[in-house]
Amino acid sequence: MNKKTINIPIGSQHISLLEPVRFKFECENEKIIGVDSDVGFVHRGIEKACTQKFKFDAVGYVVARVCGLCAITHSLSYTASIEKLLEAEISQKAKYLRIMLLELDRIHSHMLCLSHTCENAGFEAMFMRIMGDREDIMEIQELLTGNRVQFDYISIGGVNRDLSLEMSKKISQKLELVKQKVFGYIDEFTNNWSLSLKFKGIGALSLDEAFRFNAIGPLARASGMNVDVRNEIDYLPFNEVGYKIQTHSDGDINARNVVRLNEILNSIEMCENILEGLPEGEIFTKVKGKPNGEAIVRFEAPRGELMYYVKGNGKAMLERVRIKTPTFASIPAFSHIFVGENYADAPAILASFDPCLSCTAK
Amino acid sequence: MLTSFLKAFTNLFKKPQTIDYPVTPIEKDKDYRGLIEYGEEECIYCLKCEKACPPGAILFVPVENPPENEKNKKGLKYHYNPHLCIYCQECVRACPKPDEALWQSNKKPPIGIKDDRVNEAWFELEKLKRD
Repeated sequence: MNKKTINIPIGSQHISLLEPVRFKFECENEKIIGVDSDVGFVHRGIEKACTQKFKFDAVGYVVARVCGLCAITHSLSYTASIEKLLEAEISQKAKYLRIMLLELDRIHSHMLCLSHTCENAGFEAMFMRIMGDREDIMEIQELLTGNRVQFDYISIGGVNRDLSLEMSKKISQKLELVKQKVFGYIDEFTNNWSLSLKFKGIGALSLDEAFRFNAIGPLARASGMNVDVRNEIDYLPFNEVGYKIQTHSDGDINARNVVRLNEILNSIEMCENILEGLPEGEIFTKVKGKPNGEAIVRFEAPRGELMYYVKGNGKAMLERVRIKTPTFASIPAFSHIFVGENYADAPAILASFDPCLSCTAK
Repeated sequence: MLTSFLKAFTNLFKKPQTIDYPVTPIEKDKDYRGLIEYGEEECIYCLKCEKACPPGAILFVPVENPPENEKNKKGLKYHYNPHLCIYCQECVRACPKPDEALWQSNKKPPIGIKDDRVNEAWFELEKLKRD
């Protein structure tokens, strides 16, 4: 008798998905043997709007709305590319404040991903705990920027709001609290059976495969690949504030969780260093001129490398804005990991990738 | 393993983290980014805020009975759409007289209801501006 396979989809709407993505699995009994993916469910035409409807100085606020989780990374990447074109000098203080917001973004995005992984393992209590603790980070961001989700903090030439002494005291208190909680999570994620045992050896990606499929971000670092854009760029002084690369060798879901937890700790350390040694100075320098030429800027978003290509022609309207998002670049690796796994594990594996579809389809 | 059980059990006796919103008001930070406010007497009608606003939530439209101000030579009136505003403060930064003519408060936007003709009234203003 011939082998028979069945096609089972996950998505575009599924109980374990936060955003619409569709994976069609070709299954042989319980095993997945083939994967087909579709990510284009939430097209909003943002790239077109950036070149047709908004002037270049307003586009920073438009691209911040590409994604709610990495809003800062998007507006920062765009602003950095415009500053590159206009050859603007940014004050040291503004640079440090930018790093701080970027790292806070990473902390709360990773916490969301971890809580979601817990939920997919059936550990609802942990999900609630992490989501509750994430509020502290959201409050820090609200204190700093004046809004909970849409920060609108970065503008061409610097940042929009200053950090007062009172604020920095409150922020360091809250960061200390979060730090203690993260140590608690590390304990849970390594010792609790419903998290560590369930996730060990599931959804593994080896180092060779990570190279072959161009994996980026925490997905690649969990497989032992030393890839982090923060190491490779020089627009922001990451090395001065205590940045350390976090890697793991296993490449499974547990490794990804551990990498994310360690990154949260590293980000908290960076924020504390910035609060301690924030230099005096202006937060905003006026930039004049209109962008002319091409610029490419890369930044490490919570999920991996984010790339912006901006082309201007000396007019107020830009000619082209191209956004390459981390989730889109990781899809070949995602599809490969599913092959050979059980269908029942698919939601947990998918959650461990931390896919961001509103970024991808924009 | 045991500690997580213990934590989950003690959580049963804790207060919920969420706020009982309509009954208990939300504590608002004094620096919260809220509605933009406008001082008509101090305005010099340079229209910089209108040009700087990313979503176009500020419009100066010519009207029949413009506010009395010697700087207002074209007979314009300030209009502000709180539902369109993204509270980014670009207008306040562009304003030559911040804190007097244009400033940011920490007030929340009003609820937009159909009877207020939130959209239609604004579209009419935009049309006037284009003409």
